[in-house]
Amino acid sequence: MMNLSKTQLLGSLSLLVTVFFIVPWLIEVSGRWDFYFTLTSVALLATASAGVWLTFYIGRINIGQGAFALIGAYTSAIMVVKGGWSFWLSLPAAGIFAAIVAVLIGLPILRLRGVYFAMVTLVLTQVVTLTALALPITNGAKGISSIPLPAGVSIAGIVLIPDFSTLENTKLAFYYTACAIMVLTFAVLYRLVHSRLGHLCRSMQQNEELASSIGVNIAYIRLLVFAISSFFGGIGGAMFGAITQSVYPSSFQVVDSVNFMLNCFLGGLGYVFGPMLGTLVLYFGWDLMFELGQYQLLTYSILLIVLIRFLPNGLLSITWAGRKNS
Amino acid sequence: MEQILANGLYLGSQYAMIALGLTLIFALMNVLNFAHGQMYVIGGFVTYYVYGQLGLPFVLALVASCVTLAVIGALIEKFLFAPVIKKSAREESTMLLAAGTAFLLDALIQLVFGEKQRGVPKIVGGVFNWDFRIIMPYDRILICVLAILSIVGFIAYMQYSKTGRALRALAQDRMAAQLMGVNVDRYSMIGFALGAMLAGLVGGLLVTITGVNLGMGGPTSIKAFMMVMIGGAGVISGAIAGGIILGFLEAIGLAVLSQYGDITYLMIFVSLMIFLAIRPQGLMGKPWG
Amino acid sequence: MTPLLQVKNVTKKYGGLIANNDISFDVAENDILSVIGPNGAGKSTLFKMISSFVPTTSGEVLFKGSRISNLKPHTVARMGVVRTFQETTIFKNMTVRESIVVAQHLRAKATLAGYFWGTKTAQDDVADFGENADQLLDFLGMYDLRHEQASSLPQGHLRALGIAIGLATDPEVLLLDEPFAGMNHDETMHMVSLVRSVRDKKGVTILLVEHDMAAVMTISDRIVVLNFGEKIAEGTPHEIQNDKTVIEAYLGSEDDEIGM
Repeated sequence: MMNLSKTQLLGSLSLLVTVFFIVPWLIEVSGRWDFYFTLTSVALLATASAGVWLTFYIGRINIGQGAFALIGAYTSAIMVVKGGWSFWLSLPAAGIFAAIVAVLIGLPILRLRGVYFAMVTLVLTQVVTLTALALPITNGAKGISSIPLPAGVSIAGIVLIPDFSTLENTKLAFYYTACAIMVLTFAVLYRLVHSRLGHLCRSMQQNEELASSIGVNIAYIRLLVFAISSFFGGIGGAMFGAITQSVYPSSFQVVDSVNFMLNCFLGGLGYVFGPMLGTLVLYFGWDLMFELGQYQLLTYSILLIVLIRFLPNGLLSITWAGRKNS
Repeated sequence: MEQILANGLYLGSQYAMIALGLTLIFALMNVLNFAHGQMYVIGGFVTYYVYGQLGLPFVLALVASCVTLAVIGALIEKFLFAPVIKKSAREESTMLLAAGTAFLLDALIQLVFGEKQRGVPKIVGGVFNWDFRIIMPYDRILICVLAILSIVGFIAYMQYSKTGRALRALAQDRMAAQLMGVNVDRYSMIGFALGAMLAGLVGGLLVTITGVNLGMGGPTSIKAFMMVMIGGAGVISGAIAGGIILGFLEAIGLAVLSQYGDITYLMIFVSLMIFLAIRPQGLMGKPWG
Repeated sequence: MTPLLQVKNVTKKYGGLIANNDISFDVAENDILSVIGPNGAGKSTLFKMISSFVPTTSGEVLFKGSRISNLKPHTVARMGVVRTFQETTIFKNMTVRESIVVAQHLRAKATLAGYFWGTKTAQDDVADFGENADQLLDFLGMYDLRHEQASSLPQGHLRALGIAIGLATDPEVLLLDEPFAGMNHDETMHMVSLVRSVRDKKGVTILLVEHDMAAVMTISDRIVVLNFGEKIAEGTPHEIQNDKTVIEAYLGSEDDEIGM
C-alpha cells in the first residue's frame, strides 16, 4: 500500500524504539518517575501542536487550539462521568465533536487571512472558557473532577486494554497511551504532507487564487484540514483530562493556544516533526525554569523574545539544511 | 432604558480609547499588540502609585501613566519589533514576538507591582440621580467625559498635527510615505508609543473606578481585539465604532441577560461570528488579508 | 452552431463607477479572440467576470450553453474554462515540474481519501500526472527547466509556466492575461507561436487580453475592442485596423507602448 523508503523506515523505527523502550528504561534506571508525567504532557501537547502546524500548512495562523483542547476535554469528561461511557469511546468522540465545532466556526472565518484570522481564533479560546463557565452541563467554575480512570476494553473475553484502576503503574500506562496517540498523529501528518493532499495544501498556501483557478476547491480543503487540526486538539485535550482526572474552565487558556503556536514555530514550520521538537524544548524549558520561582515567567518571556529576535525562522532552520517539504 | 444607554456610553468611551490605541499600532505596522491589555494594567498601576500612594494630583498621575507607557511602547518598537519585522518575512514571527512581549509585561507587572488588586480613592464623590431613570456616580461621568475629550484630542492631533499627518500617511501606504520623505522608522516608533500611551491613559482613568490587578491584562487584550474585529482594523472610525458598540452590547447584555448567567460575551461572540461571515472586514475596515 | 463561449450583456459597477457596460460577444470554438483597449478600458475586469473571480452586476457568461458567471472560481475551472494570471502568479516554492503536477488536479480520478491511503487509483494518477507533466513541458519547450525553482525563472519562462499550469488542467477554453507583456520582439514572436500551437495542437480555444498590438494582430482570429468600459468594435484584425472609432480611441489616449 504505502511504500516507505529506507530512511523513512529507519527513522520511524528509531523513533518508536526510543519512545516506547529507551525512554522508559532510562526513567527506571534514573528513578526520575516524575518525568513520566512531563513526557506524557509533552506527547499530548505535541499532538495538539501538530494540529496547529497543520493549519499553518494551509496558510492560516491558528491561535485557537486551546479552545478545541478544552472542548475535547469536556466532551470526554461529560461522556464518561455523566453518560457512563467508556473513555476509549469518548476519546474519538471528543475529537469528532471538536472537529464539528471547527467546521461550524471555520465556515465564516476561514476566508479571513493573516492577522485577521489569528485574531478571531485568539478570541475563540477565551469564549470557550466563558462558555464552560456559563453552561450548566459543564458544571461552571467547579469543573468536572474525580473523573474515573479509563476502564478496560475487552472483546470476547480477550483483554485489549487493561482497566487502568487495576494497574500498579498507571503513569507508565498513560505514558504509553499518550505516546501512541502522538505517534499516530504524526504518522497521519507525515502521510498527509507527503501525499498529493500535501501538494494541494502547499499550492493553497503559496497562492490561493492560482490554486482556485486550477480547480482546487479551496474552501472545502481549508475546512477539511481545519477540522482535522481541531480533531487532534480535541483528543489531546481529552487525554489530558483523563490523566489529571479533572477538567476546569481554566484547563486550557489563551496562553496555551499561544504556546501551541510557539511549539510549532520553535521547531520550524517547514518540518513535520517541528512541533514535536518544539514542544519538547519549550515544555522542558518551562519545567526546568520552575526552580526560578517568581522569575519563571520573566525568564521564559525573555528567552522567547531573544529567540524570535535573533532566530525569526525557528530552531530547526539552523540545524537542518534539508527540507521536509517543498 | 436610559440607564442602559448611559452605561453603554460610559463603557463605550473607555473601550473606544483602548481600541484606538490597538488599531493605530495595527494600522502602522500590521502588528497585533497582544500586550495592549498589559499596557492598560501598567497605566493603572502607575496612576495608583502616583495618585494613590504618593498623593500627587490626579492629572499628574495620568501624565505619569502616559509617559511611562509611551516610553515602554517606544522601546518595544525600536528594539524588538523593528528588527524582527525587517529580518523575517513571516507574519508569525511578529505575532509570536507580540505574544512574548505580553508575557514579559505580565511577568514585570507581577514582580514590580505585585499580585494584589489595587484601587484609589474616588476622585469625585456623590451620585448623579435623574429621577431614578439614570443613576451614575459622578466619578464615572467625569471619567467618561475625560475619555471623550481624549478621543477628540487624539483625532484632532492625527488630523492637524505634522506628526499626525505623517502617521496617517504611514498607515495608508508605507512605501509611498517613505518616498515622500517620512522617516518610517522614527514614526513607527512614535506611533507605537502613542498607541501604548492611549492604553495606559485608559488604565489610569479606570483605576479610579474599577481598580486594577495583574489578571486584567489578558482579558482586556481580548476585548480590544473584539472591538477591532467589529469596527474594522486599521481605521480610526472603525476603532471608535467598535469600542462604542462593544460598550453598548456589554451594557445591554448585563442588564438583559444576567438572569441566564454569564453568557453575555458568548452571545457577543456568536453574533460577531455571524457578522464576520457576512462582512469579514468589520464595519469600516479595509478588505482583509 | 452555438458559440463555445458567450458573453451576454455583462455589466460591472463598483458603486457609481461603471467598469464594464453591457458587453456582449461570442467566441467560436477553436478561435483565438483578443480583447484590447486603452488602459482602464475594463479588460481585466471583464476577464475576471468570465472566469468568475468577480461577480457580474448584471448579465451572464455562458459556456456551451450553461452559465459560468457568478459561480465559484474552481467550479468554472472544472467546467473547462481556465484562466492564467500575470507573471508573478506562480507557486513560488515549487519546481516547474511540481507546479505542473499539482495543476493536474482536475484530471484526478482518485478521491482525497484515496490519495491519503495510497490506493491503486491514486498511485496510477500520480504516475500519470508525472508523465503528462513531462510531455507538456516538452511541448512547451521547458523540459530542461523542469527541476528549477519556479521563483528563479526569468520572466519569459515564468509566463510560459503560467500557461503550462493553465494547460495542465486540460481546458477547453484558456484565458490568457497579457501573455506578451514586457517582452521584446523575439520573445513575443516565440510566445505567439507557442500560443498558436496550443490552439492548433491541443484544440484549446483561446481568449486573451493584451496591449501589444503587433502580437494581437498577428495571432487573433477575432478582436474585441473596449474603451471606457464599453465595447466599441468587434471583428477581424483587418477590420479593426481600419475601424475609425478604434483609431480614435487609441490616438486620443496615451500610446500603449509608452503607457506601459
